[in-house]
Parts: sequence; C-alpha cells; structure tokens
Amino acid sequence: MTKLREAALPALQVDELSVAFSRADGSAVQALDGVSLTVEQGEFICVLGRSGHGKTTLLNAIAGLNQPQSGSIQAMGQQISGPGVDRGVIFQRDAVFPWMRVEDNVGFGLRVAGRPRDEQRMVALAQLENVGLSHVAQAWPRELSGGMRARVAVASVFAMDPPILLADEPFGALDYVTRRQLQEVLLTLWQKTRKTIFFVTHDVDEALRLATRIIVVGNGRILVDMPTNLPVPRSDEQIASARGLELRHLLLHNLGLE
Amino acid sequence: MTSDNTLTAPLKLRGRSAFHQFAVLSVRWGRVPAGTILFFLAWYLLSLTLPDSRLVSPLRVVDEMLYNFVLSPHLQVFGLGRIGYAGLLIYSVKNVLLGLAVGAAIGLLLGLTSARFRPLRYLVDPITLVLGTVPVLVAAPLFLLWFGVVPYTQVLLVGLYSAVMMTIFSQRAVDNIDPVYELAAATRGANWSTRLRLILLPAVVPEVIGGLRVTLASAWGIETFTEILGAPSGIGQAIKTYTNVNNVAGMLACVGLVAIVAITMDFLLQVTARRISRWAH
Repeated sequence: MTKLREAALPALQVDELSVAFSRADGSAVQALDGVSLTVEQGEFICVLGRSGHGKTTLLNAIAGLNQPQSGSIQAMGQQISGPGVDRGVIFQRDAVFPWMRVEDNVGFGLRVAGRPRDEQRMVALAQLENVGLSHVAQAWPRELSGGMRARVAVASVFAMDPPILLADEPFGALDYVTRRQLQEVLLTLWQKTRKTIFFVTHDVDEALRLATRIIVVGNGRILVDMPTNLPVPRSDEQIASARGLELRHLLLHNLGLE
Repeated sequence: MTSDNTLTAPLKLRGRSAFHQFAVLSVRWGRVPAGTILFFLAWYLLSLTLPDSRLVSPLRVVDEMLYNFVLSPHLQVFGLGRIGYAGLLIYSVKNVLLGLAVGAAIGLLLGLTSARFRPLRYLVDPITLVLGTVPVLVAAPLFLLWFGVVPYTQVLLVGLYSAVMMTIFSQRAVDNIDPVYELAAATRGANWSTRLRLILLPAVVPEVIGGLRVTLASAWGIETFTEILGAPSGIGQAIKTYTNVNNVAGMLACVGLVAIVAITMDFLLQVTARRISRWAH
C-alpha cells in the first residue's frame, strides 16, 4: 500500500459492532449494541462511561481480545481478527512482567519480533529516557512504585512503535499527583509521535485534559461523540474556560450526573 | 523529580545507629541457633527424667551417629552387611532424588499442559484425585508385592507420589497466573510457544519450587516408610532393626541423620530457588 493511501485511511473503522457475554445463569448481557465509529489517524480519543456500560468491551474488541457477535473492526484498513502488534495495549491492571528487569520489559515486544539484542537495548533505554526512568533500567519491577510501573507500561508499548495505542484506564489506580504527571508524559509522547490513542477512562477531568475528541458510551451504545476543540496541551484555565465548562456539563449530563 | 522516582526496596536499617543495626541483625540471625539450642536443652533435660528405653540424651545420640557413621558393628550383627549409616543414607538419598526427579518432571509436564489444555485436564484430574487419596500405608505394601524387595520399588513409589503432587502444584501455579500477563504478551506479538517460554514458565517458578519443597519432604517419608516395610538397604532398614531390639539411641541417630540430610537438601533447594526467582524476593 502506498504511503499516500495509507495516510488517508482511518486508523480505526468500527461498523455495527455488537458484543454479548453469557452470565453464569445462562442469560446474555449485550455489552455493545451496534456501535459504529471512525477514528482518524493522530486523534487522541477518550472514551467515557459508567462502569459496566461497554467502554472496556469496546477497547478489548478493538484490541482483538474478544470476539464480536456481529459487525466488523478495521485497523489501518486491515480487518481485525485477534491481538496484533499494530495495536499496543496499556492495561488497567499492572501488566509489567515481574520476572523481567525493567529494560527487558520495555524491550519485550522487540525481542518477540526477533530484533537484535543491541537494538532491543537501545530502543528500551530511549523509551525509558522519554518516561524519566532510565536510571532504573536494571531494577526489578517489585522495586518500583505503582507510578513507576505505569511509566514502564507506557514505555513498553511505545517501544513497539504501533500506529494505534489502546489504553484501558491505565492511571486509574494512582494518586492524583502521579496521575497528572503520567498524563503529561503520555501527552508529550503523543505530541512527539502523533499516534492514534484510544483512551478509556471514567474520569471526566482526565478526558477534558487529554482528548481531542470525547466519546461517551452508555448501555453499550455511543451517546455522545464530539471534538473538544481545545488546545493541546491545555492548562487548567483553558479546561475551566467557557468551552471546557460546556463540555463538562454535556459529559456529566450524559453520564446521568446532571 | 518527585518521590515517585525513588526506589521502594525496603531498607529498614538505613539511617539507624551501628549499635541498633547490630542488635536487629543479632535478633534476626540469632533466632535460628537460639531455637535449636533451646530444643536440645529441653531434650537433654527431659532425657534426665526418663529411662534409656524411652529417651536418651542428645549427646548419646550424637555419639551413636559418629561411632556408626562409616562402619557400624551393630548393623553388621543384624545382617545389614559391612556398612555404616553413611552407606545406608546414600542408598536412601539416591532413591529419593531419582524418584523425585522422574516424578517431578512428569508432574510438571502434566500439570502445566493440563492447566492450559482442557481435554487433558479432564483426563488427568480424576487420576490424580484417586492416586493422591490412596495412603502410602496402603500403596507401599502393594508395590512391594508387585515389584519385590528391590531398590526400584521405592523409586517407583516416590516417583508416583511426586508426580501426583507436582501435577497438582503445577496446575495451581498456572491457574494462579494473572491472565493479564499472557494478554499483554499476546498484544506484543507473542504466539503460544513464546508465551509458554517467556511468560508461563518464569511465572510459575516460585510456586512450583514451593511445591517441590513440600514434595521433597514427603518423599523422605515415603522412602523411609517403604524401607521399613522391606528393602535391600536404606536408613529405614536400620530404623526397623533398632526398633526390633529396642535400641532408642540407634533409632534417634538414624532419624537425626535423615533430618540433617532432609534439612540440608531443603536449604539447598531454597538457595537455588532464591537465585532462580530473585525477582520475587
């Protein structure tokens, strides 16, 4: 495929996606119901919604980690049938491998791809530098704080250089200060690389701080899909501006809180 | 940078005075010999109040161990040949290690594969359940009847129980792995064989080694008991001989030697485990 054609492709194309799960009692839960959306390359999408309304199911479907009942998903024009290196995932739970040192964790994807050891090391150290952790490259994950392990997770995904990055509430378990720091790290990396980021969160403030476009999911459907039209990066004042407040009101209303 | 970037390894002694550090380390490392000394002291005091036919002093037991270690006139008289405790122990240790190695290898393979391959699990689980509930007291005489009073009877029995235990421990180790690790590996391009090699196997090491320690401890019991029932050699035979002549000192010497060897082997396994899985400690 030529570079021009590739540049014109949407990063993600979701068409009439439905996903259902079976409960223990045999009844079915319709987690996603006919969801359609297009994500252009370079967008920073935040997906908001209440717990159990389909945000993570949507992310997992895009990641190829669950099987849709119907519908289709394409990533960069290619049909998704399972997990792939074109869609890096930062999980909600801590997925840093405890039995590998930090540098080996970050270089894991490259090792699997068969890249030379020197290249693995070089890329891993460069990504650790980007997230401010080059000084702990030889540490074991158990020696790191939760915030540091979250940085390692970010570095690990960026090391593979996927065009699309999927993040499932990656900073949800962290304290406010650490979360703000990591948001800045992620925004800086996004501005540098302009990857497409699909970021699931339950935090309205986080969505307002990060997103170029916000989607609200409710009862397995898309309730709201709107651009933020706010500058990137954005200050607290800009988030508290008229446009920011308008967005916040709309989001809270669609989340059933206003 | 904020405190988020400081390593969080516990360093409880940092910043304390030298005397305080010495006191803490003395208590920490002094607990083991202090406990042992107390045990032997209690044993000695108790032996003073009981006849030799019930309990002998630890000093006499140590004397018995040393005197009969290389060559034992007692054992020669009782028909075990020109041998000492060392020779009998070597026989027992060989059987334990051989049975454990074979059984653990089979158990590990079965456990790891059946944990991930459901049809195999449906086959393996009932077998381990049945074999695991048959007491050694029942299985050992059966094995002696089937295979005779030969060394490989003990090896087979130790191997069988080791395989059953390690199957269960390995299955549980795999079941306890957080699924997020394999998912993360899959999203980074790892196929099933890569996930097995780089995710599953390293992740189960601490729990498998823990299971191996328990299996080793029970292997000693199985080996010794089977030797008591009937074997061409082994420390269990010496225990049986001394039981027949009510030689308490000899019995305790044999038990003490088994305990020393078992503790040493467990210690070596612990040291190896700590080295292999240093990421977990």
